[in-house]
Amino acid sequence: MTGNMKPIFLALAFFVFIMVASSVYTVAQTEQALVLQLGEPVSVVKEPGLNFKMPFVQNVVKFDNRILDLNARPNEVIASDQKRLIVDAFVKYKITDPLKFYQTVREENTLMQRLNTNLDSSLRQVLGSIPLSALLTGERAKIMGFILENVKQKSLELGIEVVDVRIMRADLPQLNSEAIFRRMQTEREREAKEFRAQGAEEAQRIKSRADKERTIILAEAEKQSQIIRGSGDAEATKIFADAFTRDEEFFSFYRTMQAYKNTLKKEDTSMILSPDNDFMKYFGDIQGRSKNR
Amino acid sequence: MTSGDKRNQGPWGKIPNNQGPNFEDAYKNAQKKLKGIFDGGGGGDNKRGIIFAAAGFLAFWLLSGFFIVDAKEQGVITRFGAYNRSVSPGLNYHIPYPIESLTKVPVTVVSRIEIGMRSSLSGRDGIGERDVPEESLMLTGDENIVDINFEVQWKVGNAKDFLFSVRDPKDTVKDVAESAMREVIGKTPIANALAEGKFVIQQQAKDLLQKTLDNYQSGIEIVALQLRKVDPPAAVIDAFRDVQTARADRERARNEAETYRNDIIPRARGQAEQIIQDSEAYKQKVVAQATGEANRFLAVFEKYRVAKDVTKRRIYLETMEEILNGMDKIMVDTRAQGSGVVPYLPLPELNKGNKGKTQ
Repeated sequence: MTGNMKPIFLALAFFVFIMVASSVYTVAQTEQALVLQLGEPVSVVKEPGLNFKMPFVQNVVKFDNRILDLNARPNEVIASDQKRLIVDAFVKYKITDPLKFYQTVREENTLMQRLNTNLDSSLRQVLGSIPLSALLTGERAKIMGFILENVKQKSLELGIEVVDVRIMRADLPQLNSEAIFRRMQTEREREAKEFRAQGAEEAQRIKSRADKERTIILAEAEKQSQIIRGSGDAEATKIFADAFTRDEEFFSFYRTMQAYKNTLKKEDTSMILSPDNDFMKYFGDIQGRSKNR
Repeated sequence: MTSGDKRNQGPWGKIPNNQGPNFEDAYKNAQKKLKGIFDGGGGGDNKRGIIFAAAGFLAFWLLSGFFIVDAKEQGVITRFGAYNRSVSPGLNYHIPYPIESLTKVPVTVVSRIEIGMRSSLSGRDGIGERDVPEESLMLTGDENIVDINFEVQWKVGNAKDFLFSVRDPKDTVKDVAESAMREVIGKTPIANALAEGKFVIQQQAKDLLQKTLDNYQSGIEIVALQLRKVDPPAAVIDAFRDVQTARADRERARNEAETYRNDIIPRARGQAEQIIQDSEAYKQKVVAQATGEANRFLAVFEKYRVAKDVTKRRIYLETMEEILNGMDKIMVDTRAQGSGVVPYLPLPELNKGNKGKTQ
């Protein structure tokens, strides 16, 4: 080797290096690549790692390999029962066909617009065919499945695979919300009134039953009382009868005497006596008079 | 890479781009080595020195492949951008840059996402909480609206999936969480959501969220999903509270009525007992009286039988004596006035005088 060789060798080494540098490229785990030859797509690289291409004539366009996200604008949709809904959905998608993707949309911003349009029309199409109430049941997952299928079909040409479509919000517009608030309020008022009325009902029932029970208790007692009193009277009557039937004549006399004593009180009785009275038969006549005069 | 960097930039921000300057470096290295070799012809000492320098550089380069993964982290190694292997905490080695590169992912750190509200540390007030109505108001299964705040806690479960599967893991968690919660609430009647259904809702939303994230192979593990607030919307909360009051009112009315009942029934029983005892007493009394009277009569009668006329007369006289004793008496002798003519008597006056005397 001589000193003359040195610059030539250096130039050669530099050239080799440039050739290598422009023919080697890496594809990251999160990427996939499309190799273009003079602007014409020639191959798709899906395997990440070190790759080679023809220097200068080929260049590489890389696309994301991960699940990407599209958050759609809130959209007003009319359900089949004419109820308006503000629907807010997102799409998860993946670029699966870089070639198609490159040919149809080229970059993500364009894709977003196309996809948004697709989502929009799918939402209208699917939600427009069902009533709002269906969305508010276990059907929701199924409906989202329909929308996913629909968007998937529409987006096939874009070189992407739609992984998932999920409805985030499906709310009523402000005006309807207020109507719902009013309805909720009146429903609660109805419920509150019902509870209070039930309270009154129950209170009245308990009270009236108590009143009834009291009346029955007292009436029962009264009945028993009369029976007891009656039996007492009967017994007394029997005792009297037993005694007095021994000599009715004497009884009548004896009882009359007692009655006199009890009724003719000196406080409220004045007596006009005739000397003819039996009691007065010795009054002015020591012999006594005969009764029948 | 620190966890702070990660949160700011997202996992995609740190995947090294191995083109360009890397090769320049490599080129320079190679050039130096080549120079060393070719210049070697010139002089022995110089040559040896260059070889040593190259060897030193090589050794340094090889040593730069050692790294330590913290206990809280997991290391992911890519070779030329492609996923190669995951490494556990401890001392590890990888072929140095630019061939392999390392990304550390904190796998034990739990991140929180709040939905329906934002809490913020604001100076003196401590933690402030701001409601986000467009996130927190949800339509329930019976077309009512409920105000829900919840929090999702997540961490990285699989570092490889977390780094390479989804572009926006954090936003994805939030979007999917919101969607899942709305799906669950959307089939729950408001009464359930407000009352005992909370636990079920939490569990269902969490499961749905995890299932969806697994479907994306996001490598995210949901630690917890907690409902912080489930309320009726502010506009109607008073009506809801009034329902609670009404329920209490109903209880109160019932209790009052029961108090009334508990008051009057025992009293009535007492009163009944009184009535019965009174009548028993009456019965005893009349029987006793009758017995007494009858016996008295019989006693007198026994004596009467012995001497009928005398006894009868005696009783008559005693009675009369008793009656007439002290009573106002006016004697009118019908015979003295002749032929039974009754003299005029001012009876009312007589009576009056009588009354005046007694009063």
